[in-house]
Amino acid sequence: MDTLLLARLQFAATASVHFLFVAVTLGLVTLLVGMQTAWVVTGNHRWERLTRFWGQLYVINYVLGIATGIVMEFQFGLNWSGLSRYVGNVFGAPLAIETLVAFFLESTFLGMWIFGWHRLRRGVHLALLYGVAITAYASAFWIMVANSWLQNPVGYEVRDGVAHLTDFPALLTNPALGMALGHVLSAALLTGGLLMAAISAWHLNRRTTDHALFRTSLRIGLVTAALAITLVQGFGFAQFGPVGGVQPTKFGGNPEADALIADWTARFGPGDYLPPALSNVGLGFMILIGFALGLLWLLVPLLWRDWIIRLRFPLWLLMLALPLPFVALILGWIAREVGRHPWVAYGLLPVDQAVSPVSPWLMASSLVGFTLLLGTLAVTNWVLLARHAARGAADPALGRRPAQPPADDSRPEPAFA
Amino acid sequence: MELAWYALLGLFFAGYLVLAGYDYGVGLLLAGDADVSRRRAALNAVGPFFLGNEVWLVAAAGILFGAFPVLEGELLAGSYPAVATALVGVILVTAGVQLRSRPGSGGARAAWDRVIVVGSLLAALGWGVVLAGLLQGVPLQADGHVAGVTHLFTPFAAATGLAVVALVVAHGASFLALRLPAVEGDRLRPLARRLLLTAIVAVGTAAVVGLFSDRVRAAAQRPAVGVLLAVLLVAALLAARVALGRRRLGVAFAATATALALPVLLVGATLWPYVLVSTVEPSASLTVADAAASGPTLRLLGWLTVPLLPALLGFQAMCVWIFRGRTDGRAPVYW
Repeated sequence: MDTLLLARLQFAATASVHFLFVAVTLGLVTLLVGMQTAWVVTGNHRWERLTRFWGQLYVINYVLGIATGIVMEFQFGLNWSGLSRYVGNVFGAPLAIETLVAFFLESTFLGMWIFGWHRLRRGVHLALLYGVAITAYASAFWIMVANSWLQNPVGYEVRDGVAHLTDFPALLTNPALGMALGHVLSAALLTGGLLMAAISAWHLNRRTTDHALFRTSLRIGLVTAALAITLVQGFGFAQFGPVGGVQPTKFGGNPEADALIADWTARFGPGDYLPPALSNVGLGFMILIGFALGLLWLLVPLLWRDWIIRLRFPLWLLMLALPLPFVALILGWIAREVGRHPWVAYGLLPVDQAVSPVSPWLMASSLVGFTLLLGTLAVTNWVLLARHAARGAADPALGRRPAQPPADDSRPEPAFA
Repeated sequence: MELAWYALLGLFFAGYLVLAGYDYGVGLLLAGDADVSRRRAALNAVGPFFLGNEVWLVAAAGILFGAFPVLEGELLAGSYPAVATALVGVILVTAGVQLRSRPGSGGARAAWDRVIVVGSLLAALGWGVVLAGLLQGVPLQADGHVAGVTHLFTPFAAATGLAVVALVVAHGASFLALRLPAVEGDRLRPLARRLLLTAIVAVGTAAVVGLFSDRVRAAAQRPAVGVLLAVLLVAALLAARVALGRRRLGVAFAATATALALPVLLVGATLWPYVLVSTVEPSASLTVADAAASGPTLRLLGWLTVPLLPALLGFQAMCVWIFRGRTDGRAPVYW
């Protein structure tokens, strides 16, 4: 067994599961901010119920985002100790900033938001959700700064084989960053919007109670998803220029790539410096999914006079489309991450120098153990999400009045519980 | 500058042990209580603080990576089994606490509660072994890498791991005595006192095993400081026990909290100026200054994050203030 391959597989598995949950977190929190703001401004009870229902799903989804996020963070040290040794001076900075200014505050705010219902003034409670959303976006920004540095190392100089930070603003103006950040954020919004539209469509199709409620969230979800897919496509295609410029080998052979490979062969020795075909095949499928989801715009006119609900089949289309953004997210990340192979930091640190010198058996047990654990938790989490989505907005546990007897409990609680 | 960052790293890791320590203590105490509603009451006593407690670990890991990259790689990879055990525990507790009340059936909840118990045990054990691993030195080679992971499996590491488990259980009980409704809290006082006695025995055992361990004696740069802090640790536990007997619950909680912060200080101060002491090649030992990131990185992190520290601590304090006092019938229930 090969420690390097196992470490790469583990990173791929953890990062994929992480992003499936993170995208929903980012997308839903944006929509929740809108809903709770509408509730506080208008005082309309319907917005409170929407906030509680979608907030409950958001909070369940968040659990796996944080669990996989912690594993991701420690994995850099566990499996990729060369990464911190050779480029930690530069790459570590955005990660440290992310944990302190974003992750730390996000969780602190969310804890207060979950338990602050009926306890805090409405304005304060809303401000906490704004805090959660802003720090979530800050988190995405700093993680993308860190990732873009690995795609295209800038603002450093190498002394004694170790990279030192020389120009921090260069990390923020990295050509690999801007469009990719927009692409990722709009993809998250697309995922959140389509999730909302699909769950609402399920309820409307089943003709469950709360028709008016789910009609509203269907409209919000569909319009958000349609706007977001256009942004996703725009930011996506806008990346080809800058990414192709800084990573000539990413999209296959061309004269620039050949020159670069000749240079690397001289400096790092002979090797296979082209990424595996997997990354570009995935990219092609992702683009197909992107075009397919562009057809969401065809459903938007059907919102007029509720034709989208009356015709029924558009509801089915929305439900069937739900897996697509998740598949596209994974394929997109494979294109970006596998596409820079064999480098951890492009042109600077090859993967075999970054991997920790631990035994293959230890790495294999870690891979199997963490993948099974996170996989099981992910599936359990989706089952719980599906059940809560199907249960409807009658009485979510989130935001329930403390004195009220809990409806989803098998037996009544004593007063202090 | 390196010292300041080292202290900040210590602050966040000690803060994590203190705050998440009572989460894990409460988690472990679920094993001893078959009553469904009491379990739920205990978890919701942690309630609003839970998410904010767990992220101290994330912040500590962030500082470790940003300010001490070399240490990050060698410490984590070199203590792989212990860190992985702790992480599995952290994940199980995180998922268990937040998801346990989402299924409808009582059976599923009981299963999730077992997940929380196991997770709390693994987390406390894992971090205890990581701390012990630092204190007994690591096989750091001349090339700067830690060789193998078998160096972790010593009687001292096992004793320290168990001592941290005993510490968090006692800390959890003293938290619940302070936080649950007065009647319930009072019921827990005798249990908390017994658990503190166990913790004293466990910490004492770990200290004695450490004193007799050649590796610990060789790695300790300031043995006197180490012994003094270990004595302080036991004194804090004794003080907590006395305070519980006199119904001074706030004092007792402060004392158990100190007891959970002290191991971090003990490891840091005893090894200073080193952070990884090599058992095989004295010249390979890593000092705090060598482990730190270079000047520009530390300055940048200083400018960006230090002004934010008051905000970080302020929002945590706000959370404590909003949900202060004992839980009662009006307290929100979500976990």
